Amino acid sequence: MRHVGFSSGAIAYGDFMGALATLRDTRFQCLELSALRISELDPLIDALPHLDLSAYSYISFHAPSSFSKDEEAWVADKLYADVPKNWPIVIHPDTIFEFKHWSRFGERLAIENMDRRKPIGRTACELQQIFDILPSASLCFDIGHARQCDASMTEAFLILSEFSKRLVQVHISEVNSASQHDAISHGAKLAFQQVAGLIPEWVPIIIESRVRSAQIPDEAVRAIEALTPVHAQ
Amino acid sequence: MKSLEILENRTGSDWTNLRAARLTSDRERVELTEALDAFSNADTSIVVVGSMARQEFTPGSDVDWTLLLDGISRPQDDQLARDIRQVLEAIKKKQPGREGVFGTLVSSHDLIHRIGGEADTNANTTRRILLLLESIAIGRPDAHNRVLNNLLYRYLEEDRGLWFGSNQSKVPRFLFNDVSRYWRTMAVDFAYKQRSRPDGGFLLRNTKLRMSRKLLFLTGMLTCFDCHTRFDDQLARSEFYKTKPVQAVIDRLRSVLSQPPLEILALSLLAYNSFDDSIKKLFTAYDEFVGMLADDTLLPNGWTKREHLDRLAVEQTEGDTVASEARDISHRFRDAIGELFLTKDTELGRLTLEYGVF
Repeated sequence: MRHVGFSSGAIAYGDFMGALATLRDTRFQCLELSALRISELDPLIDALPHLDLSAYSYISFHAPSSFSKDEEAWVADKLYADVPKNWPIVIHPDTIFEFKHWSRFGERLAIENMDRRKPIGRTACELQQIFDILPSASLCFDIGHARQCDASMTEAFLILSEFSKRLVQVHISEVNSASQHDAISHGAKLAFQQVAGLIPEWVPIIIESRVRSAQIPDEAVRAIEALTPVHAQ
Repeated sequence: MKSLEILENRTGSDWTNLRAARLTSDRERVELTEALDAFSNADTSIVVVGSMARQEFTPGSDVDWTLLLDGISRPQDDQLARDIRQVLEAIKKKQPGREGVFGTLVSSHDLIHRIGGEADTNANTTRRILLLLESIAIGRPDAHNRVLNNLLYRYLEEDRGLWFGSNQSKVPRFLFNDVSRYWRTMAVDFAYKQRSRPDGGFLLRNTKLRMSRKLLFLTGMLTCFDCHTRFDDQLARSEFYKTKPVQAVIDRLRSVLSQPPLEILALSLLAYNSFDDSIKKLFTAYDEFVGMLADDTLLPNGWTKREHLDRLAVEQTEGDTVASEARDISHRFRDAIGELFLTKDTELGRLTLEYGVF
């Protein structure tokens, strides 16, 4: 059985309290707290000691997706010191200016594969260049990004095959041509199933689909179906 | 060109013309990359097929390019194609031929979804097979890579015989049949052009058909055979195919096809030391063919050999020394292929006889 949950940013963009309130009545075991905008970082970190997260057996933290070079050291210090040590910190590799700020995180840092707008981190080859510099880093595999980069799922296959030991969590959603995270379509489900067998059952699944509250249960079912391997027939 | 160089050394050969063509191809590619730097992006790739992609570029070669679109359609794309043509004219590159197959926009949709059936036009088949077997991206390769993966996905995913067939040979027939069909299409189009273009080009087209076009078919065939021959034994092969690993096969085929055709051929023949005489004959003939096209020495009529082949009327070929030289080269190439591939003594020969004829 897959362990699934949502990203707070997908449920309520920029409003982690609202997202947690929405998710309160669900029984998801996994959660990603998201501070995609740098302005969200301080409030979210300040609130961490006061949040009731006891329902979750797995929690990760998504670092801001954009910050300046001058802000980088501050962001890294903040994440390193104030986010619980057993939470993976998901980061977009294109946000990194200087790797020296991030090497100390070791396996806590989960590099996310990127969508096709980004200049790096999209393919297995490009990810390898990042892991060469951050050899202990983990992988947050965004299956929607991988499909957007290559609908044949060959790149997804290569990423999952080459970095299986680094895999710490999966992001799932439909990533459209404008690189927005939509609900998982039938086409995306068929594509995701092609490589689902390469994702072990224990790996936490974080849903990033931007859906309304009422759609949350159905989207979770779709995510589980999409990660059910197709068998040869 | 690792395998080709190994064979050159092993057979004591000197394939100077092939080496020179590789250098010329690399230089041309750099020049095109600089000139067309601004024309590709994540959704569009400039794709070049033909002699430059085969690393056989010679001074008289065309630059057969297309602007491959794999994203949202934009009205400006047509202007982009016209601008590419202008840039190539400005740097004095010979533009694609008159059929309109190249030098234009091509949508990934047609390439991927129109395989077979009424909608699969001659131009579409040509673009698709050349994209698969001999293409390079100038500038950003994103769209080129995606389309190649998706094309191979179609050929492989829909090939039930490959995954579930009782035949122990694992050759993707859908892909192989399309490559074979294209080879026959080129041969038929040769006859069509002989009729529709009585003004010339017969001998050059004929020589290319016997050499570079045949090489293309051969390497397409060998690429398909790689799906079978790369395993040490039948157990490893069965084990691999039983889970229908489409993406793993795509990755392997992409790796094979990332090399130019002569290298694919050389790699396939590396293990056949006992056939070195035939291997030498094959590549020496091809080296002479490329050398003939590159030779800028003027004949008594003021033409180069390439120009002579291009301009000689069909009724003048009998007794012509250049025509005779081209014919001799092509016969040695043909004979060497026969010695290597039409034999039951090798796995490649067995597969050729099993798949290449019926």
